[in-house]
Amino acid sequence: MADNRFQFVENSYLDDEISRPSLTYWQDAWRRLKKNKLAMLGVIAIIMIVFFGVVGPSLTDYTYSDQVNEFKNLPPTLEVFDVGDDVNLYLSSDYNMFIVNDKGKMVERLEIDKTKKDLINKIYVYKYGTEENYKEVVLDFSYNLLKTKMGYDYDYSIEYDGTLYTEFTSKKMNKTFPFGTDDLGRDILTRVMYGTRISLTIAFVATMVNLFIGIIYGSVSGFEGGRVDEFMMRIVDIINSIPLVLYVILIMVWFRGNDGLFNIIIALSTVYWVSMARLVRGQMLSLKEQEFVLAARVIGVPKKKIIFRHLIPNAMGPIIVSMTMMIPSAVFTEAFLSFIGLGVSAPQASLGTLSSNALSGLLTYPYQLFFPAMTIAIIMLAFNFLGDGLRDALDPRLRKG
Amino acid sequence: MSGYYIKRIISSLITLFIITTLIFLMMHSIPGGPFTRERPVPDEILQALNEKYNLDAPLYEQYLDYLKGLVTFDLGPSYSKIGTTVNELLISGFPPSAIIGGFASLLIVVVGMPLGIISALKQNKPVDYLVMFMATVGVTIPSFVMATLIIYFFAGQLGWLPTFGNASPLGYIGPILALSGYSLSFVSRLTRSSMLEVLRQDYVRTARANGIREYKVIAKHAVKNALIPVVTYLGPMIAAIMTGSFVIEKIFAIPGMGRYYVESVTNRDYTVLMGMTIFYAAFYIIMVLLVDVAYGFIDPRIRLGKEN
Repeated sequence: MADNRFQFVENSYLDDEISRPSLTYWQDAWRRLKKNKLAMLGVIAIIMIVFFGVVGPSLTDYTYSDQVNEFKNLPPTLEVFDVGDDVNLYLSSDYNMFIVNDKGKMVERLEIDKTKKDLINKIYVYKYGTEENYKEVVLDFSYNLLKTKMGYDYDYSIEYDGTLYTEFTSKKMNKTFPFGTDDLGRDILTRVMYGTRISLTIAFVATMVNLFIGIIYGSVSGFEGGRVDEFMMRIVDIINSIPLVLYVILIMVWFRGNDGLFNIIIALSTVYWVSMARLVRGQMLSLKEQEFVLAARVIGVPKKKIIFRHLIPNAMGPIIVSMTMMIPSAVFTEAFLSFIGLGVSAPQASLGTLSSNALSGLLTYPYQLFFPAMTIAIIMLAFNFLGDGLRDALDPRLRKG
Repeated sequence: MSGYYIKRIISSLITLFIITTLIFLMMHSIPGGPFTRERPVPDEILQALNEKYNLDAPLYEQYLDYLKGLVTFDLGPSYSKIGTTVNELLISGFPPSAIIGGFASLLIVVVGMPLGIISALKQNKPVDYLVMFMATVGVTIPSFVMATLIIYFFAGQLGWLPTFGNASPLGYIGPILALSGYSLSFVSRLTRSSMLEVLRQDYVRTARANGIREYKVIAKHAVKNALIPVVTYLGPMIAAIMTGSFVIEKIFAIPGMGRYYVESVTNRDYTVLMGMTIFYAAFYIIMVLLVDVAYGFIDPRIRLGKEN
C-alpha cells in the first residue's frame, strides 16, 4: 500500500482530549446549588429579608415605638370618598373620619362636633377646615340598623358640601402607612421590619450557640462511644423531655431584669443544641470507623486533632443543612413563645408578638395579622428552599459528572 | 428480647426519676415562695399557709414527701386554685387535649403518610407537585396563624364552626385541623423522601425483577422500610400533641392541659407546673419506648437485644 494514502494525525487533534477542571467538594456543591432555581430563590429571598430587617427600620419616618394617636387602626388600602380639591374622606370602621389627599397621604383626623352629636338618630358631625373656611361633614349611620326592613342597600351616608355620598368612590393605597397602623397608632411596616430584625437576631445567635455546643458535645459523645456516649445521650434525653416553656419561665425568673430578648436567646440556646448533638453524634459513629481515622490514629494524632481536623470537616454537609433548617425553626419557636406571652417585652416587638397582638382585633383588622404572619411564612419558605437545595447539593450520592 | 425491654423500662424509670428531681430542684430554686405576691401577704397568714402545705420543712423532707406522693399518683394540691388538686386538673384537662391530639395524630397517620407515599410513587408528576406544594405551605405557616385563619374563615366568614370552646363536637374540628397542619405536612414530606430513598435500593429492583406484583413490592418491601424514620418522628410528636398544644388551646379556648399549663405559668402555680411537666415527661418517655418496640415489628434488622 502506498504511503501517500495515509495521513498523519495532526497534533492539535491529539491535544483535544476531553477534560474538565477538577472541582473540590465545596466547588461542586456550589455549582449544583447554583443550578437549583428554588434554592437560589431562597438565597435571594433571605438576602432581601435580612436587608428588610437590618436597613429597613432606618428608612421609614417612624420608629417601632412611635405612636401617632391621631391615626389608629388604619388599613393599608383606604376606601375613600373623593370630594374634589385634593380632599378625600375616609371613614374607618369605628366611625372616625379622616382626610386623605389624592396621592393617598394621610392628612388629618376630623374632630367630632360634640354639640351636634346625635346618638338617637345616629348622626355624627365632623368639623373640617379653619374658621374662615369651615365645613361640616355629616355622617348618618342609622341605615345599617334595620337594613333589610328599610330597604336601603348602603350602611351609611356622608353629606359634604351639600352632596350626599353613599358609596365609596375609589380605593387608595395608604402612602403614609403602607402596611397600616395598629391599635396604638404605630406604623406596622416599621414594626414588621423591626420585628424581623429581632426574630432573625434571636434565630442567628441561638443557631450559632447551638452549632458550637452541638458539634462539640455530639462529636465527643460519638467519638468516645461506650459508657461516655451512653451517659451523655441520657443527659440529652432528659433535657429533651422537659418542655421548652418551663426553661423559659425559669430563665425569666432567674435572670429577672433582663429583657425578653436575652431570655429567649438563652432559653433557645440551652435546649436547641440537643438535636444538633444527636445529628453530629450519628455522623461521628459512622465516620470514626473509616480508614482515614484509623490511619490518623496509627500515626499518633491526638484525639482532639482527629475530631477537629478529620471528623468534623467530613460531617460538615449534614451539619450545614441542619443549620439552615434550625434558623426558621428558631424563628418559629420564638414566635410561639412570644405568642403565649413569654417573649420580648413591649414596646419591643418580634414577629410573634406582632401576630399575637393582632389576634384580638382579627375580625375587624385582619391586615394587622397578615403582614407579620406573611413575613414569618416567607422566612420559613426561603430557608426551607435553601435547606432542601443544600441537602441535594451536598449529598455525595447525587454527585455526578 | 424481653430482657432488652426490661432494661429499657428500667432505664426509662431512672430517667423519669432524674427529671422529677431536676424539676423539683428547679422549682424550689425560684426566689420567693408560691405565695409571694405584689402585695405582701400578712406574716401570720403566710405562716399558716406554709404550715398547711408543709413548706417550712427542710428541702429534703419536702422532696421525700413529693416522691411519696408521686409513687401513689398524688401530685399534691394546687396553690392558686384553692381546693383543687393537681390530679383533678389533670383528669379534667387531659381528655379534651387527648381527643384533639388523638384525632390530629390519626389524621396525620391516615392522611400524611399515604400522601407522602403517593407523591413518591408519582415523582415529578402533577400529583407530586401539588402534594409537595401543600406540604411546603403547611410547614411554613405557624400553627397560631393557621388557627386564626380557620377561625376567620370557617367561624367568622362562613359561620360553619363555633369560634371557641368544646361544647359541641363541631368545636373540635378547628383545633384538630390547626394542630395537625404542621405535622401532617412534615410527615408527608418525610415519608416522600424516605420512600424515594428506598425505591432506589437494590432489593426493590430485585423484587421487581423477580416479577412480584407492583403493589406487593410497594406494600411489602418499600413502605415497610420507608416508615422507619417516620415512626421515629411520630412517637415524640404524638406525645407532644396529645398533652395539649398551648397555643391552639389558648386560641380556641379549649379547657385542656395546655391551657392549664399556661395558666399555671401566669399564676406561678408551682405544683401544677411540676405535676404537668412530670406527666408530660412520663408520656414522652413512654412514647419513645413504644417507638423502640415498634421498630422491632417494622424492621427485623433492629430486633434489638439479639446481638447481646
